[in-house]
Amino acid sequence: MTDVAEGSAAGVDESVVGARGHVPGESSMWFFVIGDLLIFAVYFVGYMYFRSQHQDLFLQSQARLNVDIGAVNTVLLLTSSLFVASGTAAARAGNSANALRGWAIAFAFGAAFPLLKLFEWIPEITAGLTPGKNLFFMYYFVMTGMHLCHVALGLVIMCFVIRNLKTAAKPKMSLVETGATYWHMVDVLWLVLFALLYLMR
Amino acid sequence: MTSLIRSPLTIVWAFLTTVTIASSFISVDGGAAHQINTTVTTVVLLIAAVKAYLVIQHFMEVRRAPRWLKLTTSAWVLGLFTLLVGFYFAGL
Repeated sequence: MTDVAEGSAAGVDESVVGARGHVPGESSMWFFVIGDLLIFAVYFVGYMYFRSQHQDLFLQSQARLNVDIGAVNTVLLLTSSLFVASGTAAARAGNSANALRGWAIAFAFGAAFPLLKLFEWIPEITAGLTPGKNLFFMYYFVMTGMHLCHVALGLVIMCFVIRNLKTAAKPKMSLVETGATYWHMVDVLWLVLFALLYLMR
Repeated sequence: MTSLIRSPLTIVWAFLTTVTIASSFISVDGGAAHQINTTVTTVVLLIAAVKAYLVIQHFMEVRRAPRWLKLTTSAWVLGLFTLLVGFYFAGL
């Protein structure tokens, strides 16, 4: 992967990719992100430990999940993250129109995630697969539920970024980058959840 | 939109999407019996680790961030997936 920025033939255009050694967004957001990553890591490792104690239960329970919705939701978040990243680069380069378009598209992809979650959860719950069903479904609903709260907060933050891009003469880069950092973290956590809950055997 | 298509970010995204779909097929086909399958598990966990690393490096722009941030986030990915794979194989 090269450092060549959009449209420039060679070299690094720091107005687009950000200066080397630059912390994207507020440091306090990174403090929160790293803390959140560590908390989720404890849940992930805990899941793996209890899974090893109840292999058959977890394998049989996984068979009842909807892998298709899980995969589509993964692609939705990845695509949303792409538009956040390109929208952020556009904002940095001073291209407010492209920045706004990127973040608006990112919001649309992101907002589809909870919608699909409903289509996933409602048939499961009506089929009796609730958090009280067994240890796997307890982990499944608690972890995906906590993640969904993160998605919801991420969508609210995106609204603030979009409002700033719409109204401010010059985008507030610390806000844009802080929002981007949070949203990408939501993406990273889902990538791990998807592998642990849906895919592994 | 042509600049977006040629952007390095889009190449990263195309890779991430491709391996997401690949890992789903690996799991659905290879793990159809819903029995312990160390090959499927190792491959899907490795793919997840690479994906998490790439999102952090390229989308979160950590690859251009200060050293402490690169080290902390990389240690998270490496430490987490080492523990996950370790607990998986220890529990077999």
